Amino acid sequence: MLNSAATEPFISLNIWTSIFTLCNLLIVFLIMKKFLFKPVKKMIDDRQKEIDDQYADAEQSKADAAELKARYEARLSEANAEKEAILKDAYRKAQLRDEEMLRQAQEQAAATLRRADEQIALEKKRAMNDIKDEVSVMAVDIASAVLARDIKKSEHAELIDSFIENLGESHD
Amino acid sequence: MIEVTGPKILFTFSFFGLFDVTITETVLSSFLVMLTLVILSICLGRNLKKRPGRRQVLVEKVVQMLYNMVRDTMGEHNLRFAPYIGALFCSSLLGTLISMLGFFRSATADISTTITWALVTSVLVWFYNIKNNGFFGWLKGFTEPIVVMTPMNIVSEIAQPVSMAFRHFGNVAGGSVLTMLIYNALAAVSALILGWIPNAFISSIPILQVGIPAVLSLYFDLFSGFIQALVFSMLTMVYVGAACPPPAEKNAK
Repeated sequence: MLNSAATEPFISLNIWTSIFTLCNLLIVFLIMKKFLFKPVKKMIDDRQKEIDDQYADAEQSKADAAELKARYEARLSEANAEKEAILKDAYRKAQLRDEEMLRQAQEQAAATLRRADEQIALEKKRAMNDIKDEVSVMAVDIASAVLARDIKKSEHAELIDSFIENLGESHD
Repeated sequence: MIEVTGPKILFTFSFFGLFDVTITETVLSSFLVMLTLVILSICLGRNLKKRPGRRQVLVEKVVQMLYNMVRDTMGEHNLRFAPYIGALFCSSLLGTLISMLGFFRSATADISTTITWALVTSVLVWFYNIKNNGFFGWLKGFTEPIVVMTPMNIVSEIAQPVSMAFRHFGNVAGGSVLTMLIYNALAAVSALILGWIPNAFISSIPILQVGIPAVLSLYFDLFSGFIQALVFSMLTMVYVGAACPPPAEKNAK
């Protein structure tokens, strides 16, 4: 304890003590505010803001990603549907062409066959005409031969046989 | 003989012959507390980083606690009072605890100190009441809820700083008086126990004064000092907070 004879009463108001106390409180308040509370609070708030911003950014990115994903999925399903449609169309077209080709082939075959038949008939007719001509010539030949000689019964048979033989040869 | 006295007068000087200025122990303690807080503030508030070190984490924790307390008690709109509350709390706490160093008297064991702080609170309350309600609005407030209550309201307005000042002063000064009494009592008991020893020096050693007062000091100085600082700050927050209602409530009035 500091030695001094004079003391104040236990309960006493001293205006100078009051004034000094007030000054000290004011100084402490101003200094603490300027050098401690303001900067520290600012630092805390800044950090808090930074964290909040980062969280907001992350949320935004997440939302963006989700939206992008939804969009891509929609597009993918669209593409799938399109693919299905194209395939179906192609299948249908192929089938149609298949049938068409078959039909054409059948038609062609039928036409060819008909033409062949016509040709055969023509040939046959032509052959018949040829035969008819030849037979008439032959009949004239035979008649002349008969008229030139006296024909016996046996000669008749021989003549006919040779005629038929000739006929066969000329036909072969 | 045990004497209960106030702070010692260290010296008196004449202020240009106009009046005498007395410097007491309280002023010395108060000045030391102020110096300590200024140095601490400047040291702790320096080199703040986004990624705090251990010192900064602790400082931030304490500052955050203070702001949270002010927010809870006074509301979000009164956060600007936090620095003052912090300064008041620290001044009060250190002003009480400085006596534990053994060389100084608690600044708060002087009614002059506590009444000054209490009056600052009252002035703040009056100032914000007048600012928010106008001078006559403030005077009209004394007649509420009925005119008959006016004298009581005036008395309670005066009693408010007085009770705050005496509560703080009484706790701290009473604690120091009790400590002194216990010291003296322990010395007397020691003398009784050691009285049979013929050696005058040995028998005069106050053996019981070792240890026991330290335990008591934990309560009377540390605990009581902390509680009183808290109570004083809390009351200031409540009174000033009541004088500064939230903006919406102010408009509704």
